[in-house]
Amino acid sequence: MAAYDVLSIDGGLKLLPEIVLLAGILALFFITNLGDAKIRIPLTRLRIPALLGGNRFKWNSDPRIPGIVSVFTLIFAIGMLIQTLGDDCADIMKGFCSETTILTTTGKNPVHLLKLDSFSRLFELMFFLALLLVSAASLNRLQADSNPSNDDLEQLLDNRRQVDFYLLLLISGLGMTVVAMSMNLFVLFIGLELASLPIYVLVAFHKESKAGSEAGVKYFITGAISSAVGLYGMSLLYLWSGSLQLTVLEAAWASMDTPEALPLFGISLLLVGFGFKISSVPFHFVAPDAYSGASSPVAALLATASKTLGFIGLMRILMIVTLPETGETAVWMFAFGTLSVVTMTWGNLAALGSENPKRMLAYSSVAHAGYMMAALVAVAAWKSGSYTETNNNGLMAAELIIGAIIFHLFVLISFKIGAFMVISHLETEDDVTDMSSLHGLAKREPIIATSMFVFMLALAGVPPLAGFMSKFLMVTGIVQVASADVLVNNNVDLIPTILGMHWTFFLAIAIFINSAISLYYYLRIGVLMFFEESSTRLPLPKVSILRFVIFVCAIGTVFFGINSDWLVETVTNAASALFADS
Amino acid sequence: MGSEISVEFWVATIPFVPLLTFPIILFLGQYFNGKDWWKNILKEGGSISLMSMGIVLILTSMVVAQFIGEMHNGQGLDIIDWITFDVLRSDGMTNGVNLGFGIYIDHISLMLLFVASFLCFLINWFSIGYMNTDKINDNRNHRFYAEFLIFCSGMLGMVLADNFLWLFIFWEIMGLCSYLLIGFYYEKPSAAAAAKKAFLTTRVGDVFLMIGLIIMWNIYGSLEFDIIFGWDYFTNPVDMTLLKTSLILMFIGAVGKSAQFPLHVWLPDAMEGPTPVSALIHAATMVNAGLYLVARMFPIFIGTAGDGLVGELADVAIIIAIIGGITAFMAAGIAFVQNDIKKVLAYSTMSQLAYIFTGLGAALWFASKGKPELALFALGASLFHLFNHAMAKGMLFMASGSVIHEMHHAHHHISHGEHEGFDAQDMTNMGGLASKLPITSTAMAAGSMSIIGIPLIGGFWSKEGIIAKIWKAAIYDGGYLLFIPAILLLISAGMTGFYMSRMWFMTFAGKPKTKVAEHVHEETPWIKFPLVILTFMTLGGIVFASLHFVSWVSEGHAFHYDLIHEMKHAFLAMDKEGVIDSTFLILTWATIGLSSIIGPIIAMSLYGGNLKDGENAIPTVSWLVKLSGMVKNRWEFDNSTLANSGLAEALRRRLYFDDFYDWICIKLIVPIGIGAALFDKKGVDGVIKGIESGSQSASTWIRKLTTGSARDYIMMVALGSLIFVGLIWGMV
Repeated sequence: MAAYDVLSIDGGLKLLPEIVLLAGILALFFITNLGDAKIRIPLTRLRIPALLGGNRFKWNSDPRIPGIVSVFTLIFAIGMLIQTLGDDCADIMKGFCSETTILTTTGKNPVHLLKLDSFSRLFELMFFLALLLVSAASLNRLQADSNPSNDDLEQLLDNRRQVDFYLLLLISGLGMTVVAMSMNLFVLFIGLELASLPIYVLVAFHKESKAGSEAGVKYFITGAISSAVGLYGMSLLYLWSGSLQLTVLEAAWASMDTPEALPLFGISLLLVGFGFKISSVPFHFVAPDAYSGASSPVAALLATASKTLGFIGLMRILMIVTLPETGETAVWMFAFGTLSVVTMTWGNLAALGSENPKRMLAYSSVAHAGYMMAALVAVAAWKSGSYTETNNNGLMAAELIIGAIIFHLFVLISFKIGAFMVISHLETEDDVTDMSSLHGLAKREPIIATSMFVFMLALAGVPPLAGFMSKFLMVTGIVQVASADVLVNNNVDLIPTILGMHWTFFLAIAIFINSAISLYYYLRIGVLMFFEESSTRLPLPKVSILRFVIFVCAIGTVFFGINSDWLVETVTNAASALFADS
Repeated sequence: MGSEISVEFWVATIPFVPLLTFPIILFLGQYFNGKDWWKNILKEGGSISLMSMGIVLILTSMVVAQFIGEMHNGQGLDIIDWITFDVLRSDGMTNGVNLGFGIYIDHISLMLLFVASFLCFLINWFSIGYMNTDKINDNRNHRFYAEFLIFCSGMLGMVLADNFLWLFIFWEIMGLCSYLLIGFYYEKPSAAAAAKKAFLTTRVGDVFLMIGLIIMWNIYGSLEFDIIFGWDYFTNPVDMTLLKTSLILMFIGAVGKSAQFPLHVWLPDAMEGPTPVSALIHAATMVNAGLYLVARMFPIFIGTAGDGLVGELADVAIIIAIIGGITAFMAAGIAFVQNDIKKVLAYSTMSQLAYIFTGLGAALWFASKGKPELALFALGASLFHLFNHAMAKGMLFMASGSVIHEMHHAHHHISHGEHEGFDAQDMTNMGGLASKLPITSTAMAAGSMSIIGIPLIGGFWSKEGIIAKIWKAAIYDGGYLLFIPAILLLISAGMTGFYMSRMWFMTFAGKPKTKVAEHVHEETPWIKFPLVILTFMTLGGIVFASLHFVSWVSEGHAFHYDLIHEMKHAFLAMDKEGVIDSTFLILTWATIGLSSIIGPIIAMSLYGGNLKDGENAIPTVSWLVKLSGMVKNRWEFDNSTLANSGLAEALRRRLYFDDFYDWICIKLIVPIGIGAALFDKKGVDGVIKGIESGSQSASTWIRKLTTGSARDYIMMVALGSLIFVGLIWGMV
């Protein structure tokens, strides 16, 4: 583990992917603003091209330029990410890992700001992938002709609006990388806000539509309040320990003999801030509104990257700071256990009756947050129980469970984004406000409909798709931890076994029941697409890049379900890095 | 071993070639039905499927060529690992389980792989001649070829699977395809009923197989061949009673699939399917699945005996042998009175499969008694018989298909398209076809001889081996229960000689019995080619025998040519040291006398006869016809008392098995079914509907809480903060 000053050359090189992103942001800004403006040198007749401003040149007035720049920036950033992994991990075929590097501030008491390790690098990869898919898909979504026709929405989406969209996306991406790397609650908060604020704007990006701007405003207000509550909690923690550095907080927490009011209060409020990000009950209310108001690619971003942000925060707080010594119960275990069950049940029940596909997906995303929260609780149960041995590969149960959550967040990128992209494809024709848009899709677009069905099955967790793998890993993790005490006693009779299990076992059962409920509305989409008659038999408009993105998502969904070795290796690497001595 | 790595990929792709081709045919057929080029060039998908099977055959030949000279043990190779996890075993330990797809290659699987792909290819070829020239199949042959291909992938996959679970999955795929193909003419009520019957009867066996597999999983904590076969019974003792139960249950599954007593009732009815289907599924490949399953149990028997548990599993082997003996005898008896050419073949199939089961029973018995050399001999003989039978019976069915096809055409020609209930499959309508169908009659003669066991022809070598081994088991090692199958098998050998000869002479010798039979003539080359190939395969039995096929297929010995030794062994019961065993010498000649002389002569005297004057058969069979004429003239006798006796009537009614099962169904199963349906409608559906409407109303209620007003949302955030603080503080 090497520590570098953030501003040193070595430290800077470690941040190449972020630098690429920053360069991309600048490029977006400059390229689209290049023009034939000239400055006259005072008192002379010499006019020097100032380049910025004036009428744009022909080559950079194409409205697709910003999207292309954004896509290439992200591809380049992913390349840099792999480049900076370090020699030990150069063979990414065997799982994706990274050297651990800590970036600190200079001075007498250096503060650890950012940590580059397998955990943060993997999350960066996830963010870049999600952003890449979203911006590639938006190439078609926002595309406008150089000669706009009569459709006013298209007219408005000219080059300048396009720049705004991609600029916001990339800035948000920059914030996300900061969250992934942060070792300091304050840095984490800055990153979170840097990532969130552009997304608020993106939700309201279609300011012409009433739903869009309403959703944006609502989402912003609720989000701002949650952030404020979280920030308040953070300030209480600072008041208590005098530092926001995670390692310091961890040490302070461990040295606390009896629970003190200040940190408990602080942690509770901090969880509210992250609870909003992952849209857990009761902070999820605005999610359906935001998802349905935003354009589908942005909603896809909300459901994946934005949720992932919240989980990074939760993992840092719950797993690093407040995870107690073996044998003790984590303070948040019961609260989180309860909320996880409420969240998954609420999400599934609400999705059951939703007639708007985007709202349905939003509720489904709430339910998925519930599953992942349940898995987090199992880690606490592992600490409180006696199941401390490692498995065949020398991994702790906690690493497996956290690995499962990361796995789920990763594969969500393929099928959640895929599902939103299909809706996005439908939106190229007309607004999608209820299920009737999906009617008879199989007859109009058999391949798109099949992909959508694959995404739905993956969301439901049907083998052999990626969604099954992640749910399977989480449930086995929970059951392993919950049954550990029973196994030690070699008690194999069924009823006493179940009664003797830790109560987290019932979380596994709750996931099980909820999966059964959720099948109803996921499969219903299939029924609508394959068996209902649609009003038209015409195919959807040709939007090649969007289709390509859908296929990539479908292939990823199947691939990571069948051949998950690489990803499992990668996520366990990441989970080990999270638990490694920081 | 380096060589395996290069072929393992190709081996694993074999089942997927047909699996990937079938949707292509299905979709193309759906779109292009009725188009000229689809019909004439692509043969409604026949050419595509033939190409796919050709690829399979080439791959298989490559693999077999790679392995043929080498000697090594079976080996499982994991191709795809999907999930690895731990399961809790009944003894409190955990077991690592790996779900994935893998292949298991040894000589048994290689032999079956070759048999399956070779016959699938030839029968596909034959189908193009048979199916595409019949008007009633127009515009739906693509369905036939698609189902045919799924079946092939099921069979190939089953043979290659590296654990019992995949074996079971492919087994079920075959069951499904068998159902679809028997019911290919689903508009015919008899075909639909036969399909249903086959499906349900085999399902009875499959349920037992599944229970057996569950028990086996419970014993070993895995269904992987590698783990089960390599089990160390010293360090990890298992409950032998449980293991025995599991093996017997699995055997019941094999009984259903291979149509053995008492689950044999479906096979004769399955002849309702198109003839290529009968040839492929109900003679050459699918019915071998049960045999394969039993052969796969062999290492378990060897393993238990090797680890000191001698004789523990002998009961299972005895049950297998006895079931085989009973079926061989019973089926041969029923075949005596069948007039439908395909039904004779169906019962013959049943009987010959029973031989193989008995041989396997003997092999397992020797294995469990700790005599691996004898066990391997018996296993080799059984598998060699499987090979011979598959080749001969596949050919016989195709030849019978050729007869039926030409009869049908001739009838069509004479009656100008009117169908007035003429049965093209009834042998009492045939006779004297030897002059009209030269290739078919030759092929059928060769096939029948192989099944009968005429010396030097294919089936002879293996059948002798099976009978000798079951007698050896019975005589020398005191398994007195084994005398039942041993005696039954010997008698059945003579019966086989009778009914197979009867079929041939009724069809090809004598004067034509109807006008239709006079107008038959051979046409399409698509039908002839596979017959010729398989005739050579069948007659080439002597080559296989002298190459020591028996020890290759059971032990993996490299081939070496030694005809003289084989001849001495077969005819003089002489072992390697040159000692002649008088008991087996008598036994051998008794078998030859019964099956090759007495049986056929009785058949000739009853059903033989010269052809119509002025007609000559092809030289390959003309001597047979003339011989039969001679025998008939000298020894003809009246069998009407026997033919009209109660026994013959009982045999015609198939020994009342069908009536008995019908009665059970109507009296027992149907009332239970009605009750279950009622419970399902009132009880289960009621609960499900209740849950559904309950959750719908819950959903409506819960969504009302999402008011759409930001003020309420903020309220909720505040409430949530309180909940967090309350729960966290409350717990401390």
